[in-house]
Amino acid sequence: MTDPHQPYPQAAHPLPYQQAQRSRRLPNVPPAARPHRDEPAAKPGRDRYLDLLRAVALVRVVLFHLFGWAWLTVLFPSMGVMFALAGSLMARSLARPAATVVRDRLRRLLPPMWAFAAVVLPAMFALGWKPVREEGLWWFVRLGCYLLPAGSPPYPEESGSPGGFFEVSWAEQGVGPLWYIRAYLWFVIASPLLLKAFRKLPWVTMLAPTGLTAVLGTGLVTVPGATGEAVLDFAVFGSCWILGFAHHDGLLKQVPRYLVVSSAAIVMGFGLWWASGHLTDEGWNLDEIPLAQSTWSFGFCVILLVYAPSWRRLPGRFAGWDSLVTLANNRAVTVYLWHNLLLMASAYLVDQLWNVPWVGDNLGSYLESSYTVLTLLALWPLLGLAILAVGWVEDVAARRRPRLWPNGAGEDRQEPPQPPRTRSGGHARAR
Amino acid sequence: MTRPAPRVGSHRKKRAKRRLPMRYLLPSVLLVALLAMLMLRGYVHSEVLADHRVQPPAPTTQVPANVLEGGPVIDARSATEPAKTLRIPDHKIVLTFDDGPDPVWTPRVLDAMKKYDAHGVFFVTGTMASRHPGLVQRMVDEGHEIGLHTFNHPDLSYQSPKRIDWELSQNQLVLAGAAGIRTSLFRPPYSSFSAAMDNKSWPVTQYIGSRGYLTVVNNTDSEDWKRPGVRAIIERATPEGGQGAIILMHDSGGDRSQTVAALDTFLPAMEQRGYEFTHLTAALGASSAHTPATGFALLKGKAFVSAVGVSERITDVLVVGLAVIGVLVMARFGLMLLLSFLHARRVRGKGFSWGPPLARPVSVLVPAYNERECIAATVRSLVASDYPIEIIVIDDGSTDGTADIVRALRLPNVRVVRQHNAGKPAALNNGIAHARYDIVVMMDGDTVFEPSTVRELVQPFADSRVGAVAGNAKVGNRDSLIGAWQHIEYVMGFNLDRRMYDLLGCMPTIPGAVGAFRREALDRVGGMSDDTLAEDTDVTMALHRDGWRVVYAENARAWTEAPESVQQLWSQRYRWSYGTMQAIWKHRRAVIERGPSGRFGRVGLPFVSLFMVVAPLLAPLIDVFLLYGLVFGPTGKTVAAWFGVLVVQAVCAAYAFRLDRERMVHLISLPLQQILYRQLMYVVLLQSWITALTGGRLRWQKLRRTGVVGTPGAQRTGRAAAGRDRRPVA
Repeated sequence: MTDPHQPYPQAAHPLPYQQAQRSRRLPNVPPAARPHRDEPAAKPGRDRYLDLLRAVALVRVVLFHLFGWAWLTVLFPSMGVMFALAGSLMARSLARPAATVVRDRLRRLLPPMWAFAAVVLPAMFALGWKPVREEGLWWFVRLGCYLLPAGSPPYPEESGSPGGFFEVSWAEQGVGPLWYIRAYLWFVIASPLLLKAFRKLPWVTMLAPTGLTAVLGTGLVTVPGATGEAVLDFAVFGSCWILGFAHHDGLLKQVPRYLVVSSAAIVMGFGLWWASGHLTDEGWNLDEIPLAQSTWSFGFCVILLVYAPSWRRLPGRFAGWDSLVTLANNRAVTVYLWHNLLLMASAYLVDQLWNVPWVGDNLGSYLESSYTVLTLLALWPLLGLAILAVGWVEDVAARRRPRLWPNGAGEDRQEPPQPPRTRSGGHARAR
Repeated sequence: MTRPAPRVGSHRKKRAKRRLPMRYLLPSVLLVALLAMLMLRGYVHSEVLADHRVQPPAPTTQVPANVLEGGPVIDARSATEPAKTLRIPDHKIVLTFDDGPDPVWTPRVLDAMKKYDAHGVFFVTGTMASRHPGLVQRMVDEGHEIGLHTFNHPDLSYQSPKRIDWELSQNQLVLAGAAGIRTSLFRPPYSSFSAAMDNKSWPVTQYIGSRGYLTVVNNTDSEDWKRPGVRAIIERATPEGGQGAIILMHDSGGDRSQTVAALDTFLPAMEQRGYEFTHLTAALGASSAHTPATGFALLKGKAFVSAVGVSERITDVLVVGLAVIGVLVMARFGLMLLLSFLHARRVRGKGFSWGPPLARPVSVLVPAYNERECIAATVRSLVASDYPIEIIVIDDGSTDGTADIVRALRLPNVRVVRQHNAGKPAALNNGIAHARYDIVVMMDGDTVFEPSTVRELVQPFADSRVGAVAGNAKVGNRDSLIGAWQHIEYVMGFNLDRRMYDLLGCMPTIPGAVGAFRREALDRVGGMSDDTLAEDTDVTMALHRDGWRVVYAENARAWTEAPESVQQLWSQRYRWSYGTMQAIWKHRRAVIERGPSGRFGRVGLPFVSLFMVVAPLLAPLIDVFLLYGLVFGPTGKTVAAWFGVLVVQAVCAAYAFRLDRERMVHLISLPLQQILYRQLMYVVLLQSWITALTGGRLRWQKLRRTGVVGTPGAQRTGRAAAGRDRRPVA
């Protein structure tokens, strides 16, 4: 019998199993990089898996803003997913000179936002917003955030009168989601630097924002006011954004999968645990619990991206959704910017049902019980109208030929637009 | 079907369709039924849908003045006339008891009432009444009136009309089930006097009136729930100057001994003062509030109440089951740690040896079925062995040129034996017939040996009592999640279970991936048999019964590739667990036999059955309770208990890893293994049980063919089928 303390034979010769593996297996190429059987690998098309994730995230945001179910934020952390996808694309673009890339990104982001502001701002003034009287001239600087959302754009707490066309909190609900644009802007601007840091110290850079969230989220350090909000958002989703870099650079493929997935699960478990101890009056709405949001989203995105199958086209049962996924991706900014206003509009439309003779009197209780569902049904045509009316701005911003309904029918797909999120969750509900 | 189905495989598809439901249906029906019962239990214990908010006082501008100043019975039933109130006539008392029935206090209250021939009204909640229907029946039998107090006692002013309707109808449903009656009396939870009606509670009262109920509040509050002492209760309950009263008391919700004691004094004292204790409608001179429940409502009520009865009992059974499994699992872990420690100390001790070092040549059998991808590596690893061997590759009718690949290697000492596809046991028997030496090593066609593996594996044969030796199979592809899980399982199985079985003398299986047999022993038990799906377990048990020792050689390592997909893993484990059951059943007679066979039958066989076949059946309980505890609480304790078990497992796993000098980093996937992998394993075992109980007798050959259907890509199929023999646990 040999000495049981003799180490493995790997010093003398590699493990025979590993030798065998080497001899009979494909070289260690990440699956994503392997050519697909059914399509030539030469065509650098869009990764439809990522497109599908983005579409799901967008729909989840809309549903959450309508129904306000807190568990939706746990089921699918949309904002983390969106930032991770955007981060991945950003890393890809940054193969070109950084200044050009950042300029291009901003150019594509801002015009849709201006179009939105061009509708919303006049409405707020028309309904009697008198900010200069309240805040003085400093307000003009803040108004600049509608042009370049370096900070959250201002809006009146109450606008219009009770019983008006929309409820008085319409401005808050409509403009509240713009925080996402602000966060995205800062991520884009910081990306060249972040990418450099990431390539030098990948893991440290990736986990640092979550660490920062822990510091901010536990109240060890507090940054006051709007700056604090911006810093917190940056910290909460920073790890997801940089995870996008990691996905693009193939860092996740270098680590054994069991290690990645198990660690991600543990991080997510921590997120849940943290959330359970820090529930707000909105319950499990992770948007209100920064550290839980950060860790849960990060772990969730790690698992989504580590198993990223890199589809050239949507497989099997998803195939039927192809054109909708394409449309959602081409009009993501439009949908995100407008959906909350449109939710209020569709609630208004549903309210009109009570004025229909006979219907209101006899079906009132049914209308009452299916109110949100009716609102949801009314929303999609309105979203369609919004896409037709203002969606083309996204194309102009991207220096493309404006298209009315870009659902991918009969055209080559272009580079993707950018995404959104939900923050003021429950408040932002239409009703 | 309008479209002609493709001919190829249509027959199989049909069969698969018929078989599939069985596999999933029974376990899922069982689980769903269990969960439903637990839900029902949580529901009637107010762990689900409970709402403990209480409305703060509100203005009273909308409440009619005659109600605020009126009597404690509010009649808002008429749609046309304004609400009116009723008072209890002088010298009459209506005792009312809220929140019951309670199994401890309600019977005592009823006894006291009976003793003094007093009657009253019990406002019961649906949750309590459904759990103690007998007490409701007793109340009715003894002439008391029953009133509704909602199903699970929410403040109705927070609830929608829908929920209010539901609270009332569920409450009625339970009454129908428990005592076969409906009632028209209602008391809102958290109510007090008519004067306390406010803008929040008045609309509710109006609504409930519109549903045909009399709302009964009180005008004399004994405040017995504060437990102020018997005297204080009596004092507060006594009406002034011979007036009539509705007195509020409680027969549930905590210790009510003061209430019962107060009744014993209060009832005779007030009767002496000329008071009469009647139920409400008698006091008001109206007809009874009860109407008999009939027809479907009665049946529905009975069904609900008996379902609650079952759920109450089922949870008791489950708790006992959980305790049993907890004790079993912990005892097993303890025993494994102890015995594997002793085993390791023994075989690693300085003076330990099996006898004089063995150096005589042995035969190595490699049964192969479509192993094109790996066979060359397998054979080359054998050629590199530092021990004298002859290598016999038995090609079991491969269709992918496995045999030709081996031939083309032109290696000395390597023989290829071809046979028509006849299954692995036949291939092994064929190999044994061709083997020249008296010790036979068996391995799989996709397994790779280290140079020292064969030498380590055969050393125990220096002891002439040893009939077979199990080696140490290692998972090579451990970087994927499913691979890491199996790696943990293998390391624990080989370093804890097998050492334990070795010392207990009941090793149930020599792994097909790496094992060695004394030829004489094999001949005595008749070689490999195809009676079961697990011929390795079968033959090992046969050796035990023949009196041979079966031991574990920790340093005889063989590297194997574990299944990478859930589907492959499923079919592998299904064969293992079903095969083990078959083998245990085949050798059942050992229990009553004499000699070594009897010893194995009375010690080893029950032990193996308990831990491999019976205990895993109870394993789902852990998850059911975990879910239940997480949802209905106590969440903290549930999570803590789960982590406690996890820590115990981690300790055992870490010890196993240390014994095998493996890197601990793989243990990071242990928590996830407990959430995803373990469940898969016991569902497979459940499926085996179902197959066994429904009398399916699947043969190995047949199963392999099914595997071909199930797996895309023929090359993987052979591997999937052959991958059955690296059994970490037993």
